[in-house]
Amino acid sequence: MLPSPRGLRVLAVDDVPLALTELCRLLRAAPEVGEVVAADDPISALRNIQADRFDAVFLDISMPGLDGVELANLLSKLSDPPVIVFVTAHEEHAVTAYGIGAVDYLLKPVRAERLAMALTKVVRMLSAGTAPVTPHRVRRPDAMAVLPVETAGRTRYVRRSDVRFVEANGDYVRLHTPEGVHLVRMPISRLEEYWADSGFLRVHRGYLVALSAIRELRSDSSGGLLAHTDLGDVPVSRRHARELREQLLHAAQTGMFDDPTRGA
Amino acid sequence: MNDLKDGLSGPGARRAARRLRRLLNTPGLGLADLSGNLVWSGHSPDSDAVATLVDHVLRGETAKDLPPLTATPIYAGDGVAGVLVVAGPIRRSALREAASWVADAVERGRLEASADRAEQAELRALRAEISPHFVYNALTVIASLMRSDPDQASELMLDFADYTRYSLARRGDYTTVSDEFHAIETYLALQRAVLGDRLRVQVRVAPEVLGVAIPYLVLQPLVENAVRHGIEPRAGAGLIQVTGEAEGNDCVISIEDDGVGMDPERAREILAGRGGSDSVGLANVDRRLRHVYGPWYGLVVETAVDAGTRVIVRVPRFQPGVMP
Repeated sequence: MLPSPRGLRVLAVDDVPLALTELCRLLRAAPEVGEVVAADDPISALRNIQADRFDAVFLDISMPGLDGVELANLLSKLSDPPVIVFVTAHEEHAVTAYGIGAVDYLLKPVRAERLAMALTKVVRMLSAGTAPVTPHRVRRPDAMAVLPVETAGRTRYVRRSDVRFVEANGDYVRLHTPEGVHLVRMPISRLEEYWADSGFLRVHRGYLVALSAIRELRSDSSGGLLAHTDLGDVPVSRRHARELREQLLHAAQTGMFDDPTRGA
Repeated sequence: MNDLKDGLSGPGARRAARRLRRLLNTPGLGLADLSGNLVWSGHSPDSDAVATLVDHVLRGETAKDLPPLTATPIYAGDGVAGVLVVAGPIRRSALREAASWVADAVERGRLEASADRAEQAELRALRAEISPHFVYNALTVIASLMRSDPDQASELMLDFADYTRYSLARRGDYTTVSDEFHAIETYLALQRAVLGDRLRVQVRVAPEVLGVAIPYLVLQPLVENAVRHGIEPRAGAGLIQVTGEAEGNDCVISIEDDGVGMDPERAREILAGRGGSDSVGLANVDRRLRHVYGPWYGLVVETAVDAGTRVIVRVPRFQPGVMP
C-alpha cells in the first residue's frame, strides 16, 4: 500500500478521552501525517476501518470489550491491512505487540520525538510494501565510499572512512577528517541517504556523525547532548537523541567499540 | 541457648555463662570473645591468669590447662569465635561438649542475623528507589510551571513518567549502562527544574561501555545521594559530574559532587550500613554490587570534610551469567 500523496491517513484509538486528544494533537503536528480520525472505543474503530482506508492505526492496548491486541488480530486478517502501532502504558506488552506484526509500540505518555520515530517506521513499511528492493537500494551500501573534493583547483578524494562528522553549510557540506575540513557541494540530506547504511547517523538538522568516531556522549546543565569526537563536539538534537543512544548501544553490543587500538 | 543470638560479646552472654556454670556444676565459668573480652559467672579466680590463658588459646587455637583453670576454643563458622574457661575440676569430654553447645548457639545466631540483614536489604532496595522528598518537589515545580511555562511543564511531566517507569520497572535483575545513564539524565533534568541554577551537571559516557550489564538502579541512588548530601545542604551552586568509561576489562563509573563532603570514617560507617536511615542507598548499592561481582567490586568512596565526595562503581565489562 502506498502512503497517500497528501500524507498519511491515520486512525487513533483510545478509550481515555484526554489521552486520545493528546495522541491526535501529536499526530496532526507531525509532518508525515495528512489526516487523523479519532475513535474512542474499539467498535467504532472497526466501523471506521470498514468504511474507510487508513495507512496506519495507532492503537491503545487496554480497552474495555475488545482490547487493542484482539483488534489488531482482526485487522491483520484484512486483505490490505493498515500498519499497526501500539500505544501502551505497560512495557510488558511490547513482546506481544511485535509478535502480531506491529511495526512499533509507544509508551504512554507519548513523546513527540518518539512518535516521529514510529512514523518513520510506518512510512518505511508502507514504501517497502510497494517497492521491496530497488536496484538503487542494493547499491547503496557502497555508494559514495569516496568523495571528490576540489582543493585549490585540484581534485582530491576523501574516503568515507576518514570522515568523523559532516556539517551542513548551505548547499554544501563540510567533511571533518583528521587531514582537515573539505567542502563538497551536496545537500546534507542526500549524503545522509547515501551513508545511512555505512554507520552515519543524522543527529541534528545540520550534522551527520560517524557512530564509530564517537568517543563520548556529553550532557550538561542546559540539558543539551553532545557527541564528542577527536575532531570536536557534534550537537545532538533532542529529536535525534534517542535514536543515537539506541544505535550506539547496538554498535557497542555488536563489538564496534572493542578495538583495543581505539584511542581516546 | 537463645542468650547467645548476638554472639559472645552480646548482651545475653553473661546469662549464658551463668546457665552453663549451673549445668556443668562448676565453681566458676567464663566466656571470652575474639578480642579476649570476658564475661564471668561464679567464683572469681585470678583474672590475670584467666586473661593469659584466654590469650594463649586464641593464639594457639587449642585447649590449655592452667590448674585450677581449663580453657578450650569455641569453633563457629570457619574459625575460632571465642574461648570457654572453667574454674575447678571438670571432665575433658564434658568441657568439649559444652564448647560445642556454645558454638552451635553462636552459629545459629549468626545465621539468623544474616538472614535478617538480607531481608532488610531487599526491603530497602524496594524503598530506596523512589524518594518521596524528590517526588513531591518535582510535582510542585511542574504544577507551578503549568501556568508560567506550559511547554516545559509538559516536557518535565514526560521526564517524570520516564523516571517513575524506570524506578517501578520489575523486568529482570540487570539492565545496561546505557539505560542507567539515561535514567540519571532524566532524574537530573527534573532536579535541575527543582534546584535551578544551584545545580550544575556534567554527564559523560564512552560508547564502549553502553552495552555493559549492570544491576538495576545502581547509579540513581548514588546520584540522588550526591544531590541530597552534596548540593542541597549548602548555599550556592554545586557541580555534579558523572562519567562512565572503560578501564581494561572493567567499566568504571564515577559520581562526583563538589559539596560538603564528610569525614572518611563516616563514609566507612555508611558503607557498613551504620549510617542511619538517611543513607541506606549507598550501603544497599554496595551490598548488591558485592553480591553480584564479589567482594572486590564494592563501592569506593573518596571524601573529606569540605572536599566533596566521589563514589566509584567498578563492574566487569564481561561477566558470565550477568545479562541485561
